Amino acid sequence: MKSAALPTVFIIDDDKGLRQAIEDLVESVGLRAETFASGEEFLSRRHISGPSCLVLDVRLPQMSGLDFQRRLTETGTQIPIIFITAHGDIPMSVRALKSGAVEFLTKPFRDQDLLDAIQQALQHDRAAQEQQAEIHDLRELYRTLTAREQEVMALVVSGMLNKQIASEIGVSEATVKIHRGNAMHKMQAASVVDLVRMADKLKLPPRK
Amino acid sequence: MLIRKDPEVLTMANEDVQRTLEELSRNLKESKAWLEEAQRVAHLGYWVWDLETNHLIWSDETYRIFGLTPQEGLIDLDKVREMIHPDDREAVFRTAGEAVRSGARADCEHRLFRPNGEMRIVHSLGDLKKDSSGRPYQIFGTTQDITERKRAEEAFQEISRKLLESNARLEEAQRIANVGHYSWNLIENRVVWSDEVYRIYGLSPQQGPIDLAMVREMIHPADRELVFHAAEDALQSEVPVDIEHRLVRPDGEVRTIHSVGTVKRDTSGRPYEMFGTAQDVTDRRRSEEALKQSQFYLSEGQRLAHMGSWAFNDSGHYWSDELYKIYGLDPQNGAPTVEQYLELIHPQDRTSMAESIKRMQEEHCGFDQIERIVRPDGQLRYIRAVAIPVIEQEVFKGFIGTTMDVTEQELLTQELRREQAYLTEAQSLTHIGSWAANFATMQNFHLSDETYRIHGLDPRQGPTPLERFWATLHPEDEPVVRATIENAIRTGTDYEIHEFRIRRADDGQIRVLRSIGHRNPAGEIGEYVGITMDITELKRAEEEREKLRQLEADLAHINRVNMLGELSAALAHEIKQPIAASITSANACLRWLARDPPDLERARAAAARIEEDGNRAADVINRLRSFYKKGSPPKREAVDIKEILREMTALFRTEALRHSVRIHSELHEERPHVLADRVQLQQVFMNLMLNALEAMKDSGGELTITSRSNPEGQLVVSISDTGVGLPAENTERIFDAFHTTKPQGTGMGLAITRSIVEAHGGRVWATANQGAGATLHFTLPAKAGARA
Repeated sequence: MKSAALPTVFIIDDDKGLRQAIEDLVESVGLRAETFASGEEFLSRRHISGPSCLVLDVRLPQMSGLDFQRRLTETGTQIPIIFITAHGDIPMSVRALKSGAVEFLTKPFRDQDLLDAIQQALQHDRAAQEQQAEIHDLRELYRTLTAREQEVMALVVSGMLNKQIASEIGVSEATVKIHRGNAMHKMQAASVVDLVRMADKLKLPPRK
Repeated sequence: MLIRKDPEVLTMANEDVQRTLEELSRNLKESKAWLEEAQRVAHLGYWVWDLETNHLIWSDETYRIFGLTPQEGLIDLDKVREMIHPDDREAVFRTAGEAVRSGARADCEHRLFRPNGEMRIVHSLGDLKKDSSGRPYQIFGTTQDITERKRAEEAFQEISRKLLESNARLEEAQRIANVGHYSWNLIENRVVWSDEVYRIYGLSPQQGPIDLAMVREMIHPADRELVFHAAEDALQSEVPVDIEHRLVRPDGEVRTIHSVGTVKRDTSGRPYEMFGTAQDVTDRRRSEEALKQSQFYLSEGQRLAHMGSWAFNDSGHYWSDELYKIYGLDPQNGAPTVEQYLELIHPQDRTSMAESIKRMQEEHCGFDQIERIVRPDGQLRYIRAVAIPVIEQEVFKGFIGTTMDVTEQELLTQELRREQAYLTEAQSLTHIGSWAANFATMQNFHLSDETYRIHGLDPRQGPTPLERFWATLHPEDEPVVRATIENAIRTGTDYEIHEFRIRRADDGQIRVLRSIGHRNPAGEIGEYVGITMDITELKRAEEEREKLRQLEADLAHINRVNMLGELSAALAHEIKQPIAASITSANACLRWLARDPPDLERARAAAARIEEDGNRAADVINRLRSFYKKGSPPKREAVDIKEILREMTALFRTEALRHSVRIHSELHEERPHVLADRVQLQQVFMNLMLNALEAMKDSGGELTITSRSNPEGQLVVSISDTGVGLPAENTERIFDAFHTTKPQGTGMGLAITRSIVEAHGGRVWATANQGAGATLHFTLPAKAGARA
């Protein structure tokens, strides 16, 4: 059943019984599941590929679920988290959700609630991964631009006319036109508007 | 002597006639000379007044009497008239007129003034001469100068008058002085007494001559010998008599007589008279006796009272014997001077005493002060000196005064003052005031300063009527206070008012007081002696303490709830894990079965996990159930149920009061001891009592704890309330863990209770009461020893 394309649900709970039960439930709806007894274990053999999400027990022996969530954020790992807890209170759930949790469920939870949360999380992750992939591609394209072309592109997306750019960087208007044409081509941009959207995704610093 | 012109003689004209005439003439001349001489010696002059011619002829002596030179011839009647004293003129001529008219001899005394102004008194006589026809023709008269005689007479009269007067005065003086005189004629052996002597002897002055034998009889028998011996001595040895003796008057009264007498002797030395005085000195002796007595009393009194007296005036400075004693001085040395006196005063008091004396001397004012003296022997004494100026008819005469040794009183007073100060201080520190009063008559006999202050009154303002103290009573408490005291008065008992409020008179602050009054059994009805105590602070502290205790109890409760909360949270997690797992597995199982085709293998695996998780959950519960069985091996000791109950009652007292719950217990007297773990048993009582209290939280009611022994010999303790009662359903469920009917409850109280009781081999159950509320019972094995 293992397939790289299949989305994966990672389950972290110190209670073996519950860990297995959730794994079984996830698998019963045809999703891939991987279980870990602790956050440390997850971090040590992490191999995320494809859309995935995390079902995380708040109360864990060493590193609590909330601490683990912060740790992931700090290391730049973006993965949707569904918290499960034996007795959650409102402040705790608010904190978790603010830190990017998808759902906060109290044990014992309804199976459908968990599965819905998992589906939502995977969808979210899938969208995020696609966006990540696009940015990755755009970066590859951007890297092919010469320094002058990158400079001209930045000035174009900031809304300057060729003439203005020419006086800005001290070249002729014709030269600007050439650089601009090359950048548009290399970035595979259909229009200036397209180029602006790309620059936005690349989070290029606006030039003045 | 008269000279007549005898016509018969003149007419004899014979020879002898001439001789005879010559002889006669010689005789006449002679007679005339004698007459003249006689007149001169007797100061007697004659005069002839011729009534027909109204001529007057004077003899030489008459002229001399009138202070005129004798002359021949007539004297002018008018001149004579002039010389007669004007006051006598009328009388003289009237007498003459009378004589002429009646023929009687004129006789009058009158005064005349000589030309040199000298007044003389004369006596004039005049006889009327009538001729044969009976016609008066002449007055022949004499005038004698009686001035000397008159003066001698007057002098004599004056002397005799004075003599009489002085006799009377002597008599009076003797009477007043009780002194009489006597003379004893030794020759005739006759005694003469003055009136006063009679009176002294109790006799009447006119009683007649004195019988010496009678006198002897009247002398007091005891003194007779003395009297006569003294008289004998006087006669023999010329020693004057000077004795005091008693006599017995006829009426039996005894008098004391001072008798003095001297013997008079003639030139030959023979005694002829004893003259002397007798004085009744009875009264003087008595007053002397009395004076001596009173002086004795005075000095004795001064000695006893440690009081001396003194006087200071022109005649000197007098100190009484006791005064010397007080100052430790020798009376032989006389009274000290002011400087010496000041030396005796204690150095610290000396200046003030010197000032007092100075002021006394300058302003003539008295003083009254207490000061210390140091006797020459070094002993310190307190004296009270009083000086009073003596002023007679607005003239300052000096000072008199007393000095009293008040050392003992002063020391006692100081001691008393010190005691008083200590007491006052103690009262002020403890806020306890003392008093003595009659509530029936509203008189107060004693109110200590603190009593005043407690009521917000000022003790320095002097006696304050009891009503003012009453007026401070809080209107709400006044009837109770009044009723309590009135009841105590009526029944003649002591009283105690545990607390009542007053509004302080000065600042209006409300204070809480306690008053205890003890009836004065010796006093009148309503007399009480007691104390009033300001317990405001005490009460405040008590309230603070009560608050603390309450807080403590609350904290204990919270702790307990927290502990249970923690415990239940832990348990919840423990239990939720397997339950959540089994539910999830069940869901997974259902989903495997719902697949097409159903994945039976996976479903079976899920079902197996469900069983596993179910068992796991059961294990958790079992662990809880055995928590008290295994957790800590309970200690077993003989525990006194009563003691635990007392502790718990104390713990819940405030809580019970707050919810108007009365706690009372009826414990089985014989077996108060059980074998138990004290702490756990406390927990059981605490849980059950807390539950009972909470059941009555809104309604109030009664919490009753009873104990009895059952046939198995166990002790059955029942805790009963009158609260909301048990749930309608299965009452056994209340003992289940997490079963609760209370919003804040944990549902663990009764579960723990059951665990503990069962661990002790006992049983716990609940029954509904007949009326309101429920009763929880538990049994405990009685102490082995107690059972035997």
